[in-house]
Amino acid sequence: MNSKALVRAATVTIALIAVATIGSELSVPFKQLLSNIGGHHWVGKSVLSVVFFASLYLVFSKVSDQRLALRDTGILIGTVVISVLAILIFYASHA
Amino acid sequence: MVNPLILIHAICAELGLFAFLWVLVEMLNPTTTRIARAQMAAVIGFGFLLFAWLVGGFYYVEIYGLHIKPIIKASDAKWAHSIVMEVKEHVFLFLPILATLTAALLYKYDEELLENRDAQLSIVLLAGLIFLIGFSIAGMGALISSAYRFALMAGVT
Repeated sequence: MNSKALVRAATVTIALIAVATIGSELSVPFKQLLSNIGGHHWVGKSVLSVVFFASLYLVFSKVSDQRLALRDTGILIGTVVISVLAILIFYASHA
Repeated sequence: MVNPLILIHAICAELGLFAFLWVLVEMLNPTTTRIARAQMAAVIGFGFLLFAWLVGGFYYVEIYGLHIKPIIKASDAKWAHSIVMEVKEHVFLFLPILATLTAALLYKYDEELLENRDAQLSIVLLAGLIFLIGFSIAGMGALISSAYRFALMAGVT
């Protein structure tokens, strides 16, 4: 198992969830597309998050070196914090 | 009456979060025994969070959206859905990914965690992050439940 690829896949997947969350509120066709995946846009995002995580791991495991550095985890945590804030600010400003 | 699914969702999620707090504590000063316990705790935590995801998702789509959301949105506390629930339901999606990653790192590095400071600290930070995000989400759940009760007391139907 390539741990660096796993951390990078998690980082990008979490950023993509945030983008999909905000994007689905701004674009009705995109929200409909997500709903078509699982009957509800949230189910669509759930399914996509699993698919993205697995796919991105396969991609990153081909290009990443295997040694996990604390910096990789720091980037992941930073991405989580920014994604949470982006989602919170978006919904607070559009409520 | 409180729907039992929401209780199952909340209990499983909190058990999952405490399992990751357990991981954090074990990994602060790892030994061979503590690493083995942390691996077990991470698998248990992942299992509980996965079950909470499935039960909570079913409740959210089939019950909350049809019966609870319209009442909250018709009340003065509509922000409880339009801000709090929207944030909660989407930020929750981060947890299964972070839990998978934490459990995978524990098994990947195993006894190497005794010497690999970067991997050990990564696991401590990730377990702490899961616990913090999870309990923020639990607080949001309490706010949403309060808003629903407030709406019912205000006579919204």
